[in-house]
Amino acid sequence: MKPLAGLLSERLSKAQVVDGFDTEPWAVCGRLPQAVVFPESEEQVAEVLSLSSEEGWRCVPGGRGSWLHGGQPPQGVDVLVSAERMNEISAYEPADQYIEAQAGAGLDALERRTSECRQWLALDPPGGERGTLGAMLAVGTAGPLQAGFGSPRDLVLGATLVTGDGRVLALGGRVVKNVAGFDLLKLVAGSWGTLGVITSVTMRLHPIPAVDRSLLFKGAEAADGAELACRLAQTALPLAAVELLVPGDGESGVGAPSPLVAVRILESVDAVDEAERVVSERAGMPPVQRLVGEQSAAIFENVRAMEDGAELVLRLSLLPARLPELVQMTSRLRGLYDPTEGWGMRLAAHAHAGVLRVMIARVTRSDGWVDRAKTVLGVLRRSLEAEGGSLVISQGPSEIVGAISAWGELGPAALFTAGIQAAFDPAGILTRGRLAQ
Amino acid sequence: MKSILPEPLTKELRDRLRGVVGDAWVIGDPDRLLAYESDGLTAYRMTPRAVVLPRDTDEVSRVLGILSQEAVPVVPRGAGTGLSGGALADGDAVVVGTARMTDMLKLDPANRLARVQPGMINADLTTAAEPFGLYYAPDPSSQSACTLGGNVAENSGGPHCLKYGVTSRYVTGLTVVTYDGKIVEMGGFGRECGGYDLVGLFVGSEGCVGIATEIEVRLLPLPEGVRTLLAIFDRLGDAGRAVTEIMAGGLLPAALEIIDGPTIRAVEASVFAAGFPTDAEAALVVEFDGIEVGLAADVERAVRCCREAGAREVRTADSVEERLALWRGRKKAFGAMGQIATDLMVQDGTVPRSKLTDVLGRISEIGVRHDLTIANVFHAGDGNLHPNILFDRSDSEELSRVELASTEIMAACVEAGGTITGEHGVGLDKRRYMSLVHGPEELDAMLRIKAVFDPRGHMNPGKVLPDPPDSVEIAL
Repeated sequence: MKPLAGLLSERLSKAQVVDGFDTEPWAVCGRLPQAVVFPESEEQVAEVLSLSSEEGWRCVPGGRGSWLHGGQPPQGVDVLVSAERMNEISAYEPADQYIEAQAGAGLDALERRTSECRQWLALDPPGGERGTLGAMLAVGTAGPLQAGFGSPRDLVLGATLVTGDGRVLALGGRVVKNVAGFDLLKLVAGSWGTLGVITSVTMRLHPIPAVDRSLLFKGAEAADGAELACRLAQTALPLAAVELLVPGDGESGVGAPSPLVAVRILESVDAVDEAERVVSERAGMPPVQRLVGEQSAAIFENVRAMEDGAELVLRLSLLPARLPELVQMTSRLRGLYDPTEGWGMRLAAHAHAGVLRVMIARVTRSDGWVDRAKTVLGVLRRSLEAEGGSLVISQGPSEIVGAISAWGELGPAALFTAGIQAAFDPAGILTRGRLAQ
Repeated sequence: MKSILPEPLTKELRDRLRGVVGDAWVIGDPDRLLAYESDGLTAYRMTPRAVVLPRDTDEVSRVLGILSQEAVPVVPRGAGTGLSGGALADGDAVVVGTARMTDMLKLDPANRLARVQPGMINADLTTAAEPFGLYYAPDPSSQSACTLGGNVAENSGGPHCLKYGVTSRYVTGLTVVTYDGKIVEMGGFGRECGGYDLVGLFVGSEGCVGIATEIEVRLLPLPEGVRTLLAIFDRLGDAGRAVTEIMAGGLLPAALEIIDGPTIRAVEASVFAAGFPTDAEAALVVEFDGIEVGLAADVERAVRCCREAGAREVRTADSVEERLALWRGRKKAFGAMGQIATDLMVQDGTVPRSKLTDVLGRISEIGVRHDLTIANVFHAGDGNLHPNILFDRSDSEELSRVELASTEIMAACVEAGGTITGEHGVGLDKRRYMSLVHGPEELDAMLRIKAVFDPRGHMNPGKVLPDPPDSVEIAL
């Protein structure tokens, strides 16, 4: 063992530290950590972080390691702190509709447990059920269900965070209405591991609705689909999700791929037919397919997994009513990939949020490909930012992410970034460089 | 209960402020300052050094720039309806009020967004949005008087937050002016930026981080239908059981509100009499909204839950007038109590819903032990209690019992797994209870974050965070 791993295993145990080749599955944006540690308690996490703060080791928190490749690469990784072995569900109170679990608990385990009492965590972030609760909060990204239920920041009630210097902070609580002091929990949601290692999370649950029904509508081409998705999102109905799905060039038969608009209705038995009637009327056509129960849930599970196998994933956003323009803009990306390679480029948009995910199976590597990508993405980002929107690279070849930051312009809010980090991580050891600076 | 006149601003400073906002909008006359010596927490009186009323972001920035150059502390103030003393200015602080910043800056129905100035009244936003089939969801009881800036500062709730969530769920962007006069844009719908959620931090920061000068909020489509029912119970515990049953059955009402026996009697003795039987011990209001055809079945199930829990009477409302009549007793409860006691200490704590009955029992016992009348009005669905202690503040002995009872009630909420404030904020009033819910590390972390935005500690000083143990607490 290297000295760093040796010191860590003295503090924890040998079985809780791996180094060398064993760290390969834990690469962070292609960077191998010197050691991966698997603490089993909050105290052990605090011990690892205090020691790292003293030694100046750069730490990155992780769960099961499924989202480590995303976003802006950190400046360096010495120690990866995995919450994988902290995976217990510590409290589940169906009557109070909350669940508290250690950060390494899988979303799959949570779902199994809460479904026993006909409750669920109404979130469907990208990546599917294999993610952990802690990673979900740290990344903070929402999926299609945000239309009906909000993002992780809206459903998190509490969390325990171990700061960079090993302080243990219990943030929030177990109740929905809680305004006792500054809401530091909101800073933690979406902080990408830069403020501390999350060790436990308490989430608000919802009752599983009586009926889960998804309606699929087909547009002739991407632009019609976007226009249709906008129109459906603007009905007064409380829809759970309206998602525009444009399959990749290689996923459809001849000609341009036909877009689908998937509308998810989670309602009572009496209300669901009426909702379907209104949605179809608004669409001006009957649905091409109607999925019920598990099938309805399954299609949205597929939406979560749409990034799988993509080399470049972008999130473009503008105000929701401008979704058709946003979809149009993706034609500018045509030069970055070969439509015959893999499935080409897929699109998926959360119509209520004005967020469009672009997934490119493989970026073409011909002469000057990095510069080309830099130019195309840079111009697109600037035009979106000028309109109050944004372009984020969720995942991409390191050459591209290195050439153009994963994040866009933060503006004057950036003034506070360093101060906030220093308040939680005075030694500056946690995931530096991961967020926009 | 002090009211010592602070030192007025120097002529030079007053003139500089007048140069920014105009002569009429710098108030220093002691008689006019009286209007600012208190807020909704009437137990405290403090006179600010002066009040400045700017018109827009630029004026706020220049006013704060001047005040920070002179190291004068600043207290932001909306309509002054807050119930925790957050808008009170002690000693040498100057109040910067948003009373003149009431404009709708942008109403964007297609994107269901509005951008407003912070002095806009909560209910006015919904009035403006309704012609487009939209409304603003958070509905604090004071919504016809309180401002959106105040709602942002307090992260306000309201009866319908059970289904729709509190203010933080709806604020998507802010323009904030920090103590040194810097203008900072935070968030903005339709934009993902890879920075910290400063909007989330700012909402609920009670004026300690800066002044929000523009607020972007999400609007919701008006629900197609609304159904309300009122159930009368002989025992408060039975009403609590009905709430548990309704929620356990998988129903998600828009609101679930209870008023207890003492409150019912106060309402019925007042001009707001709503026709509640005065021998009842609880009235439960349940409201559902959503797709019209789905509501009847929800109401039917809720009625069954109420009857099974022991309701002696259940009334349902179909027309708007009938609905308003059922709500009247709940909405006017605070006003009614004002008619039977000279002073009212409105408490605010949250407990997990399943602990409601236990905690209400303890509150009743605390009232008896301290010989105080405590009337409860609460958002039962999310466990948010408002025990109201009736008293007369000229009776100092009674006041000290009110103090003791408040502390015990807060401790009971925390012991049950809840917290010391669900929607009214910490302000001045609850700083002393902060250590019941937070340890020294958490309080220190909050202090460090405040210092990032306000290193000198001059934004709304003396609020939210308790003083270090060696300093003197402000006496009630």
